[in-house]
Amino acid sequence: MLHCDTYLTPASLDEAFDAMAAHQGRCRIVAGATDLLPWAREGRAGDVSIPVLIDITRIPEMNERRIDDKRVRLGAATPIQRFLDGPSLGRALPGMPRCAVWFADDQIRESATVGGNIVNASPAGDCIPPLIAHEAEVELAAKRDGKIVRRRMKLDQFVRGPSRTAIEEGELLTAFECDALAGYGGSFEKVGHRRSLVISVACIAALVKLDDSGRGFEDVRLAIAGVGPVPQRLSDVEEFLRAAPISQERLEQAAEMPVARVQSRTRQAYRREVLRGFVMRGLINALRRAGAGPEILAPELEASYV
Amino acid sequence: MSELRIEATINGRKVKRTAQPHQRLLDFLRDDLHLTGAKEGCGAGECGTCSVFVDGVLKKSCLVPVGKAQGTNIETVESLAMGNDLSVLQQAFHKAGASQCGYCIPGMVMAATAAMRANPFAGREEIKERLGGNICRCTGYQKIIDAVELARDVQNGRLPISALAELDQEDGKFIGANIRRLDAPSKVSGALKYAADMTMPNMLHLQVLRSPHPHARIVSIDTSQAEAMDGVEGVITCADVPGEDGFGVFVHDQPIMARDKVRYVGEAVAAVASEDPVIARRALEKIKVVYEPLPALFDIDAAMAKDAPVLHDYAPDNVTKHIPIRVGDIEQGFAESDLVIEETYSTQAIEHAYLEPEAGLAYVDPDGVVTVISPSQNITHHRHMLSKIIAQPINKVRFIMSPVGGGFGGKEDMIYQGMLALMAMKTRRPVRLVFTREESIASTAKRHPSRTVLKMGLMSDGRIRALQLNMICDGGAYGLSSEGVMRKAAILGAGPYNIPHLRVDTLALYTNNTPSGAFRSFGALQTQFATETTLDMAAERLGLDPFEIRRVNAMRNGATTHTKQKLKSVSLLRVLEAAAKGSNWEAGIPTSRGDTRTDMGGEGLRPACTLGARFETIEATEPQSEVA
Repeated sequence: MLHCDTYLTPASLDEAFDAMAAHQGRCRIVAGATDLLPWAREGRAGDVSIPVLIDITRIPEMNERRIDDKRVRLGAATPIQRFLDGPSLGRALPGMPRCAVWFADDQIRESATVGGNIVNASPAGDCIPPLIAHEAEVELAAKRDGKIVRRRMKLDQFVRGPSRTAIEEGELLTAFECDALAGYGGSFEKVGHRRSLVISVACIAALVKLDDSGRGFEDVRLAIAGVGPVPQRLSDVEEFLRAAPISQERLEQAAEMPVARVQSRTRQAYRREVLRGFVMRGLINALRRAGAGPEILAPELEASYV
Repeated sequence: MSELRIEATINGRKVKRTAQPHQRLLDFLRDDLHLTGAKEGCGAGECGTCSVFVDGVLKKSCLVPVGKAQGTNIETVESLAMGNDLSVLQQAFHKAGASQCGYCIPGMVMAATAAMRANPFAGREEIKERLGGNICRCTGYQKIIDAVELARDVQNGRLPISALAELDQEDGKFIGANIRRLDAPSKVSGALKYAADMTMPNMLHLQVLRSPHPHARIVSIDTSQAEAMDGVEGVITCADVPGEDGFGVFVHDQPIMARDKVRYVGEAVAAVASEDPVIARRALEKIKVVYEPLPALFDIDAAMAKDAPVLHDYAPDNVTKHIPIRVGDIEQGFAESDLVIEETYSTQAIEHAYLEPEAGLAYVDPDGVVTVISPSQNITHHRHMLSKIIAQPINKVRFIMSPVGGGFGGKEDMIYQGMLALMAMKTRRPVRLVFTREESIASTAKRHPSRTVLKMGLMSDGRIRALQLNMICDGGAYGLSSEGVMRKAAILGAGPYNIPHLRVDTLALYTNNTPSGAFRSFGALQTQFATETTLDMAAERLGLDPFEIRRVNAMRNGATTHTKQKLKSVSLLRVLEAAAKGSNWEAGIPTSRGDTRTDMGGEGLRPACTLGARFETIEATEPQSEVA
């Protein structure tokens, strides 16, 4: 079980940094707590004593939301469930709702935060692939000489390895910003042992926009997780797909390309098969949601992969 | 330690309390406020038995630090039914027969309430999706989903309120009628008290020290430091057993706590009682046990090997039980057969995973009667065993069966009740023990892992001439129900088929794995898996329909079983007919159809692993209607 002597709930960033400084080396940041509490159990970390827990979810800045035509800014403590509240956030970030619906379950999504999922940097962190596809940047803040200073970094550079990020001692992940991609079709494909409450064995996020002819990709973005130490953007596949009009043959060729990226410790052959199928299914679902018609998505093609 | 001051509205009432900073909202509700409708099934957010509303949002309270409750409005299952009036959803759960053991039901009712609040018109797929975080082990979910659909339709006026009432039934007719469960209201309201929900004045909490070794000699146990700790009221080991130590469903080979040796990882070695479970837990770390590790057996081949370590002195060959059946002349049977198939099958250990982890409460009553309340599936036998173990006459031992939050055979073993009794006797105070999910998985019985070699001889028309079945099971460290499981596996293994020549052997062996015990079907699953799979192969090889090959061999009314039991009525043919109809079975040889078969897809089948039923509703919502 988790044991702590003090549980602090700072009301501002300032207070949070002061608490972190006062308890340096004996505190831990907590947001949704949905990873922390299961971690401190037998079979994982066992009984854990952390003298001070600092809960950052009541800091207003951590919950902010700003959407304009170009960018979306969300506080790090935004619960995953917010992408499923209604259509507006999902229209600006079409990569997120399908990811959210596969994330844990309705109840845990109300507590679990996007920021927590990012800083945990799990190789199977579900939020990371769609955010990478949205060109997400993270904002990191720290208090130096009494002043709050901030820096920004691309998400795919922030995540360095399993449970490793570029965050430094005394820093907090406060927010992230993404490309607003209204009009794109988004998809998220995931497989685990069951539907709810399951860690991805493999997952993929796809975002596509059709060109004016409706027969080619104006933009296509793909990212995968669960198949190696860090989530990855599939830039080579994207480039290949943009180079010619959409056809079943092109999609199938593209689906072969990332297979060699599978570096998991277990079940590599299975994951390669899944990844190939997921590129197809992810692209087909995203294309359909982007408005692709039967001239591109023949019913037989959909039937084979979706 | 800085205590938290929690001010919250709980079920409509203002609450001001101090709380320990490490508590979870679930602990605060259950231990401090005695709102025990929210249960702890796993403590890790996997099961949903602890769901409560926090500011109108459903959360798993085992994952909510109590500090997050400050200033919130909390609704527990107790708030849904005020007085005697169940909510429409609770009435629908009652009507639909959606509660069995009931342990998951408060959480299910809460999740269903949240689903209906989120979308009062949700379809069946969306309901399933929204209830995805809640696990049930008894009902198979269908009745729960039926109940939510029923409540939805009543709430929306599509069905009259009378749809929730009991059906008119013919007088005195119960079989084939849909009778509502008498105990459902107590389950859907969260009012029913399971053992972990019970408290008594002056009660202590028990924590158990468990073996880290699969097989080791216990050189010494030193409890002095633990006993000296402030707040520790008692420490027990096997030395505290006054009578004849040993329990088991058949052979009494397991001590209340390890004696001289430990035989599996997770075996109880000592236990501590304190008013504060955290102190009891810390005291466990102060108990010094010196072990001398011994070579351990991890599979059946190692257990049968020549010169294998012996786990129990009474069983020098490590055999827990061997059950043989002999009918006819097996060699003659194979010689007469047109086709002989031989295959090896294996099955794995399986955990029951009932939603209620083991729990119990023991006390010595004013007349000196040692009383144990627990969800035991076998209280009378437990009472007789405990009487010997504590050297008390039978009238001084009492077992009370608390509501069982799922058992499936896993709660037949007296795996912890003895410790509770000993501690209650030692401290003369009520003592409660509640297993964590991890403790439950590590220390209690599993389904027997098995290896079956099956040889079947058949005539070309599909009639079985001979069947030879040899199953060897990993019985784990102690006997528990192994003997009965081997018996049932042998008796039922060859299936309900007429077979003139039969040779069956089932064998359970001791190993240093978690003990195997009773589990639904009690051994028949392992052997019948082998028999039925072989029949499917035989159907392919002989060009027969899989249903047909079973009809050809089926026992009929008046048949005599392989163990000479006369059967007045045999329902097998009716079962086969119903299964063929229910599965829309297309008759034919299994290999002959491939892509052309017509019994795949269609009504009653859904694509695997889909999510997203709610997107239709979300897309139909206009952004303006969203609350900013």
